[in-house]
Amino acid sequence: MIAELGHLLAFLALAAAAGQSVLGLTTGGETVRRLAVASGMFSLLAMITLIICFVRLDFSVALVAENSHTLKPLIYRIAGAWGNHEGSMLLWCLVMAGYGAAAGLFMQPGKLRDRAIGVQGLLTTASFAYLLFVSSPFTRLIDAPFDGGGMNPLLQDPAVALHPPMLYLGYVGMSFVFSLAASGLINGQIDREWAKRTRPWALFAWSALTIGIALGAIWAYYELGWGGWWFWDPVENASFMPWLVGAALIHSLIVTEKRGGMSAWTVFLAVLAFVLALLGTFLVRSGVMTSVHAFATDPTRGIVLLVGLGLAGGAALALFAWRAPTLKPGPEFDPVSREGALVLNNLFLSVAAALVLVGTVTPMILQWLGDTGMISSEAASLSIGEPYFQLTLAPMVAILLLFMPLAQAATWRKAEVSPLMKWLAPAAVAAVVAALVAMAMGGWGLWLGFGVLVGVWVVFGVGFDVMRRVGPGGAGRFFRMPLTVWGMAIAHLGIGIFVIGATVETATRTERTFPLKPGEIAEMGGWTYEFLGVSPVDGPNYTALRADIKVTHGGSTEIIQPETRSFPVARTSTTEVAIRKTLTGDVYVALGDQVRDVPGSWRIRIAQHPLIDWVFGGAGLIAIGGFLSLAARVRRRSPAHAADTEATTGQGPAVPASTPA
Amino acid sequence: MIAVVVALILQATAAVDQPLPDPAQEARAQSLMRELRCTVCENEPVSQSTADMAVDARRKIRQLVGEGSSDGQVRDFFVERYGDYVSFRPSNWLLWLFPFALLVGAGALLALRGFSRRHRELAPVPDDRNNESA
Repeated sequence: MIAELGHLLAFLALAAAAGQSVLGLTTGGETVRRLAVASGMFSLLAMITLIICFVRLDFSVALVAENSHTLKPLIYRIAGAWGNHEGSMLLWCLVMAGYGAAAGLFMQPGKLRDRAIGVQGLLTTASFAYLLFVSSPFTRLIDAPFDGGGMNPLLQDPAVALHPPMLYLGYVGMSFVFSLAASGLINGQIDREWAKRTRPWALFAWSALTIGIALGAIWAYYELGWGGWWFWDPVENASFMPWLVGAALIHSLIVTEKRGGMSAWTVFLAVLAFVLALLGTFLVRSGVMTSVHAFATDPTRGIVLLVGLGLAGGAALALFAWRAPTLKPGPEFDPVSREGALVLNNLFLSVAAALVLVGTVTPMILQWLGDTGMISSEAASLSIGEPYFQLTLAPMVAILLLFMPLAQAATWRKAEVSPLMKWLAPAAVAAVVAALVAMAMGGWGLWLGFGVLVGVWVVFGVGFDVMRRVGPGGAGRFFRMPLTVWGMAIAHLGIGIFVIGATVETATRTERTFPLKPGEIAEMGGWTYEFLGVSPVDGPNYTALRADIKVTHGGSTEIIQPETRSFPVARTSTTEVAIRKTLTGDVYVALGDQVRDVPGSWRIRIAQHPLIDWVFGGAGLIAIGGFLSLAARVRRRSPAHAADTEATTGQGPAVPASTPA
Repeated sequence: MIAVVVALILQATAAVDQPLPDPAQEARAQSLMRELRCTVCENEPVSQSTADMAVDARRKIRQLVGEGSSDGQVRDFFVERYGDYVSFRPSNWLLWLFPFALLVGAGALLALRGFSRRHRELAPVPDDRNNESA
């Protein structure tokens, strides 16, 4: 019964969303809000019924039979509900309807809200129609099997249980930013008020996307066993493009909100972020590429997604072309000003997004041209990977970040650079010293020095900017800094820490594979690894080979146990690396295959990943910064606090530290 | 066909991952290993895979670097045998030029607009807190 209930709930969610779109785009009013909330509730209940099917291992449901198994641990049974195409589409629908419901609950009533909920309703209706008519998760089997097919064992990892929900909150969250843009365009109201009410949604979606991407990177690092956290895989790029455009958007929204400028560009970015999210979904799900995310590939899905992409993007661009001429340019500003700095930020971030887009789709387009016989197969096979993205993107990001500490201290309309010098000169000195130290320790690589220079410049630049804002008032003023400043400072600090971690890790990681027999010893980077042998171990739904390796470093000894797990149901095996954390980074050991022709000898891959936690920690800080900026907006909106803010601003200038209150 | 033959020749040799004695050469070899694709794997460079093809490719890269080949020569060796597909560093110059051309072009356009619009001296907006609560 429960699957039928889920099916019914999904239909109710679709009906509510359809009603919400019709009323939202026509009359508006309180009913729109109620329908949006109802659609969200029905979607949530539908998801819960699917999770119940997975937890109770109801193998009469086709999806459960294909993707679950009696031996699977509980948490992965729950996560298994979205670890497949149909379930993840239901999650997509839930997030989309959820944003509509959240808008109904939290946004002020008015035309902006009603039309945005209306557009969101259209998107939700289309998604539910696709779910129910093309890929229903609730389909029953006539003959239920006794046991299921199991899930891709690579997905049996805690980071991956949370990765899709977070990623979707971000990725699909861009749909509501899109809806707000469409609503503003329909109403002919893309102004400071629109930007003020749109920015919290953009901040939320983008911060969630940041966490989602970071969880994916963490999963790759811990679970895939090759020690990388980012490989410029098309799947990763698919989420990185909306991230870059979203980053540009939350900055250009500031200009629109505070100064009323850049409105056409801002609304264009709001549309583009969602179009790129759809494009990413198309790339991942249509079967144009193979990856762990592709689940079962099916060309009809690709066509449906492509049509959806064309419709949503085309309609929004038509709206944009219709309304853009009516958008007023903002007030004048000097090129050296906060506006100028944010224009520069947007220039670099959008070029970066364009570069990732071209680098990602070019090989696919060439391959498609080759497959259809339009070009020769030699011309069609091309790889674009790490060297290309690193060599083109790194200089761009570096230039952008060199400007960042200046930009965040700049005043609106016109900025004076010279008073900032006394704050930024020490940051520059610190950056140069740190770069030289890093190069001396890491073998004089130019990339290493350059990356550390930029990262430390950003970290110190943010630090000095905070000191400048706090002024001579001391700790008390430090803690009373506005939340927006906290948000910006922490996010920018996160960027600096990430850049330092990413450069040091990429430039100085070492990896080597040793063929070892029991009793043999490998040495690398001051660490000694004694291979003690391999023994079989049984897990809940796998059997494993576990290696015992005695690690010695500076007098302390520890046994670490990397495993290879083989999953009989799914007929695949995974690598479970052993990681020893130190203050300066990770020691990372993976058990490989047995060496051919040499009995008893195993390939042991040993890697050192310096400052790897700075990479993930930096990404975490970026997301925290985003959420803090959002919290500042939510707090400011509540009436009690608004009065409070009036009172403090009434006292006179509080931010420029040159005039202490 | 050539690829198959080469793969067989490469496979015939024993699998050892012995680093080069010269650290500078070893570092070059390692960075080349990150640029060349393991052709039997799913989107992995040869540096990261334990597949036989990758093990053999690593050995070959070290051998070539040890014999004094330049980075370009090592890349060419693999591209000749496996095609452009094996290299994550595309050789098409248009791909390399485009992002920078786009950046410079768009930047120049913005600069032109910015300066032509500047009719008079502007003063800074004195207090951005007032602006924030506006």
